[in-house]
Amino acid sequence: MTTPVIIPADLWDEDDKTGSIVLWLYADGASVKQGDLIAEVLVEKVTLELEAPATGTLRIQVEPEVVVNKGDTVAVIE
Amino acid sequence: MSTRILTMSRAGREALDWEMERRDEIFCLGEDIFKFGGIFGTMDGFGAKYGPERVISTPISETGFIGMAAGAAMEGMHPVIDLAYIDFIGVCYNVLLNTASKAHYMSGGAVKVPMTLLIGTGGGYNNAAQHSQCLHATVAHIPGVKVVYPSNAYDAKGMLHTALRDDNFTIFLTHKATAGVGWMGTPIKTTLAEVPAEDYTVPFGKVKIYREGSDVTLIGLGMSVHECLKAADALAADGISAQVVDLRSLVPLDRDGIMEAVGKTGRLVVTDEDYLSYGVSGEILATIFERDPSILKKPPIRVTMPDIPIPFSRPLEQAILPLAGRIADAARKLMA
Repeated sequence: MTTPVIIPADLWDEDDKTGSIVLWLYADGASVKQGDLIAEVLVEKVTLELEAPATGTLRIQVEPEVVVNKGDTVAVIE
Repeated sequence: MSTRILTMSRAGREALDWEMERRDEIFCLGEDIFKFGGIFGTMDGFGAKYGPERVISTPISETGFIGMAAGAAMEGMHPVIDLAYIDFIGVCYNVLLNTASKAHYMSGGAVKVPMTLLIGTGGGYNNAAQHSQCLHATVAHIPGVKVVYPSNAYDAKGMLHTALRDDNFTIFLTHKATAGVGWMGTPIKTTLAEVPAEDYTVPFGKVKIYREGSDVTLIGLGMSVHECLKAADALAADGISAQVVDLRSLVPLDRDGIMEAVGKTGRLVVTDEDYLSYGVSGEILATIFERDPSILKKPPIRVTMPDIPIPFSRPLEQAILPLAGRIADAARKLMA
């Protein structure tokens, strides 16, 4: 079973703003626990936090410095 | 579970949080710390967690609140102060120079000043002459204070634990570009490290060998370590094997470690984002010339900030920073 890691719609206020991943706190293939802080997302100089939605193996799909929008899948947890 | 990869900012915050949870004598002082957690996020969330008595946002009055911190330290507290940028130390310099650093000696050892001063340093982001300086030599020159300068997340956490458990006044420097805070852009990969969740200490006064090499030694501190690592990659492509050494701690300074590292290659480039004259780069060379200049095969080269006010203009600033290109050119000159 895989759970997508999605940029939540309420991570930041304005819908027209885009963000980017600053840093993955775990390497691709690492084991993570539900609720772990797994990534930082930067939106207009503000750093926001992304948590693991499930426990399992992290498969990163979007690298840092790539533009992301609300609702985008940036990784999956297997 | 796998080990987390942290920025220096998060790693330092974790050490401070761990110590604050267990030791009531530790409290935080600084501008914009209660709600905002400090400009480097070292105290992020601490206002809500520890309350206004232990996380005190101050006015822009460094003389007042750092003097107050020194007094609190003498009475048994351990203040941790976020001084934001080192360019502002002039405002509180008398407290550093004559009070916090001297009370232990002047009282015949009766008074201790356990106080940790966190300061961001350095430029490279177009913030002009009054917000881009390193000035680490200016504080390392003061007898009676320890000065440390980690350059990666693992050392940041371990050295902050060490500072917080030290009975002496410690100045804990972080180059802004290495901190890994969002407003400085994407973190530099070589500043990130796997950081254990539990507490640990990294001792002061030991150099860190980031990369082994046999042809030339590149010594750096703070941000210049990461430029040395980039230079070492470029040099490797030319068939030159560069060793990269991080000083990590200025007071105490690991003079034995410096001699040992330089002795392995006999060729030395010292890099420093602080000004050229009367500084750390000269201190490294003086150490070698006093101890054994015969370890050098060639006269050493210094790649530092020149003795001029740092320009706001990006092209002008980039031209004078000790960046990888200048470092690699110096190393190639030593190999010619």
